[in-house]
Amino acid sequence: MSAAARSGASVAHHLVGAGQSERTRLKVEQATYAYSATDRSAPEFTLGPVSFEARQSELVTILGPNASGKSTLLRLLAGMFKALSGRIEVDGLEIGDLDLLRRAQKIAFVQQESELLFPLRVWEYVLQGRYPYGRRLRFESEEDSLLAGNALSQVGADSFRERWMNELSGGEKQRVILARALAQQPSLLLLDEPTQHLDIGGKVELLRRLRKLADGNSYSVIVVTHELNLAAEFSDRVVLLHKGKSLRVGTPAQVYDRALLEETFAAPLEVEMRPSGRPRVILSSEH
Amino acid sequence: MPAIRQARLLAVLLLPCFVPTGIGAAAGPDASTAKMQSSSPDSSSRVVVDEMGRIVTVPKDLRRIVSLAPSVTEMIYALNLDDRLAGDTDYCDVPPAAKLKPHVGSFLNPSLESIIALHPDVVIAVAYSGNREETADALQKLGVAVYVINPQTVPRILDSMSGIAKLAGDDKRGAEVVSALKSRLDVLQKRLADLPLVHVLFVVQLEPLITAGQHTFIADALRWAGAESIVVSKVDWPKLSMEEVVRLQPDYIVVAPGPMTDSVSTVTDLRKRVVWRDLLAVQAGHVAIVSEEIDRPAPGLIDAIEQLAHEIHPTAFSMNAGEDQYPRLRLGSLSEKCNSARWQACAH
Amino acid sequence: MRTLTARRVVAICALLSTILFVAVVISLRLGSYPIAVRDIVMTLFNKAIGRGDEIPSEFSVVIFGLRLPRIALGILVGASLSTAGAGFQALLRNPLADPYVLGVSSGAALGAILSVIWAPQVTGAIQIAAFIGAAVAIAAVYFLGRRGGQLDSATLLLAGIISASFLSAIIMFIMTTLSGRDVRGMAFWLMGDLSTPPPTTHVKEWLGFLFAIFLVAAGAMYTTSSDLNLILTGEQEARHLGVNLRRVKLVVYVSASVLTGLAVSVSGAIGYVGLLVPHVMRMLFGTDYRLLIPTSAIGGAIALVIADLLARTLVAPTELPVGAMTAIAGAPVFIYLIRRRVR
Repeated sequence: MSAAARSGASVAHHLVGAGQSERTRLKVEQATYAYSATDRSAPEFTLGPVSFEARQSELVTILGPNASGKSTLLRLLAGMFKALSGRIEVDGLEIGDLDLLRRAQKIAFVQQESELLFPLRVWEYVLQGRYPYGRRLRFESEEDSLLAGNALSQVGADSFRERWMNELSGGEKQRVILARALAQQPSLLLLDEPTQHLDIGGKVELLRRLRKLADGNSYSVIVVTHELNLAAEFSDRVVLLHKGKSLRVGTPAQVYDRALLEETFAAPLEVEMRPSGRPRVILSSEH
Repeated sequence: MPAIRQARLLAVLLLPCFVPTGIGAAAGPDASTAKMQSSSPDSSSRVVVDEMGRIVTVPKDLRRIVSLAPSVTEMIYALNLDDRLAGDTDYCDVPPAAKLKPHVGSFLNPSLESIIALHPDVVIAVAYSGNREETADALQKLGVAVYVINPQTVPRILDSMSGIAKLAGDDKRGAEVVSALKSRLDVLQKRLADLPLVHVLFVVQLEPLITAGQHTFIADALRWAGAESIVVSKVDWPKLSMEEVVRLQPDYIVVAPGPMTDSVSTVTDLRKRVVWRDLLAVQAGHVAIVSEEIDRPAPGLIDAIEQLAHEIHPTAFSMNAGEDQYPRLRLGSLSEKCNSARWQACAH
Repeated sequence: MRTLTARRVVAICALLSTILFVAVVISLRLGSYPIAVRDIVMTLFNKAIGRGDEIPSEFSVVIFGLRLPRIALGILVGASLSTAGAGFQALLRNPLADPYVLGVSSGAALGAILSVIWAPQVTGAIQIAAFIGAAVAIAAVYFLGRRGGQLDSATLLLAGIISASFLSAIIMFIMTTLSGRDVRGMAFWLMGDLSTPPPTTHVKEWLGFLFAIFLVAAGAMYTTSSDLNLILTGEQEARHLGVNLRRVKLVVYVSASVLTGLAVSVSGAIGYVGLLVPHVMRMLFGTDYRLLIPTSAIGGAIALVIADLLARTLVAPTELPVGAMTAIAGAPVFIYLIRRRVR
């Protein structure tokens, strides 16, 4: 696709706002995957079949205990592996059919940051999010700068534009990484256990921000986590996984069934419904 | 960004590399440099063939020689052509007067510009274990006449000297000097004719132990002194294991003083060293220290040969005490360097 | 936010090129053979307007036969090594990477020494053999350095170090058992030496050919500069942004190796330039590879032209090997850089 067409597409993208009817961003149909199919030394582990959808402005949580296949599913959605069977569609397009750049325009993946080798400023880092748009050897345009700036504002990191990446705190850095993902103007924003190293205040702040972003924009946010209450509080939809199997898909209220959760998480739990309609999970007093 | 802008950007970025080389690329030896060495001989020049088969054109009236090796410098002085020596290397110090000549750098990597700055009529270099072939090739390409000698044996040293004398147009003088040296060798040969060769270990370097291979001029020099190296090797400067020395038990150990053998100035030093002290030669005191002239394929080598011969074949010389010009070498003392007065004596 | 624009890149390159030009002029002026600036200008002028015959032959020899080719080589080698260094630092994700860490120079040295043994009389044999040796080393390390069908920085580094020491050991072995032929020339070559004049009388064509190779290789690497910027923030991150890791790594690997092989086959292994120039350029102009590659190239040219100038004039008439000069100058710069990083 030519640079002009690509940047044209990005502008059109921008115009699709909340006024549009609910648009399905992600559609997963009976997707399965097994590591041992491609790497014989890998342990036997099968994921799926999994099916669910994510619409624009929705926040979907992939929930489950450790080793339930959450990260694998997320990587399938990111296009890092090809599903063994089934379909995964972003904006109606099968992920496996997209070339690298097109995929990067549609899907943004946020993960724990690797060590930066050389010092880099925040705005330079965020500007890199514009890479999928335009030719190989390119210099960023006015529009790119605008969009990157916009992304920084959306995460509340305006004030750190000129700072060096390695001088930021963990939370600040995470915001900047998120900004870079937003600069990609994706249809899907994927986050892999983003609350891992944060304290409770940080966790809530992050999820609040993600919620706001989802509400105010036209993409879907997909978060992998094992945090039951955060998921319940902030997601529109939950996909519950256990040992690679998709146990249930639905709203938190639909998914948070006591027996189901206890079996999945192997812990004595109680589920309370709150007035807001969202469930809350606590440790059971009986053992 | 459209492709044409990209291409332009690339070109502009890398253009700076082109500019100086555009000038450089316009360079290259051409007709003008060939003027420095005319390819067609005329009445004012002479064509000779050097020892490597190269054809060398020099002016008949050869005034300016640049020497690229200490041995060449020594030869030039011995031939009394030193007034025509325009420059030599940093290491030419025999005779001491050579140190005062303009220098062109080191033996292995002389400065080509310095050589050219001296406007030489000919540059004389030594082949093989001498100067690098690249140096000679480079000078030739730049239009400088290069005469390469190859004194791999003692007689060839004399041939080289004749060649140089002929190059300088001084055939007669050269013949005199060379024949004097030849007669010394003939005398020596006669004296040593019936004597068996003494087996020696020639030490170039003590640690690690390095000796001279069979194709070196040193090996030939040993033969002229009535000796033979216990090591036969195609490698010019082979490293030797002490075990081999112990197995072969040389009759004599020959050491030349120098930075690599500095610690051995007397036979007592060797007697202090482990393994060495158990060698038969060391126990018998058969350690010959020869002058450092043995390190150069030049006229001084003949002095060193004579010294060594005296040392290891004393019986050949004790008969005609009167004729003996050179005092017997005392064990443990270093010989004097040939000073300029002695050069005259050497030449006769 | 001041983004990097093409204009800025061109401006900085123009500035550096001017400095390079000045260095070239000074280098032309100084040397063992005394020539006044006036004479230099006249000589160049006459040559340029086609009146080459009117130049005094000695001037012509010194300027066109000795100094200019040497300067041109210095530019070529300096630019090649620095660009290769910048590329390897990104590919191997290691700021200590220099062009030789993957064994390219050892391969070239082995090729050179074999040609000295087998074809000592053939002009230009050393250069060709060295380039072939480099190519073999490049290919071998490539195949050893792959993991999962793609070049992996840690594996590549290991493969390179192993092959470098293996090849060096073979070289040592050959040099000690060699039958006394010109190994001393090899010693110079191994240290890095620009003083050997070109192996051909067609200097113009030879230099042009070498520069063409440089442009192709450096150009190829330049096309991946945006990708490299992303890769430096993490390989996975780069992949998610759409970088074709496999292709980029291959291009950078081949082009950096070709540049190194080119430099080494012409002048032996000159050290420090490939390691330090990219770092200095980063400090001055930032880490964006769209600017770093051209500035490293020009900066490397400047560094080597100056180093070579010093090598041949500092203790004239003795010529120091240029590799010794870069080491002497490079070590303090290196120490300074290390200390600055400890901020």
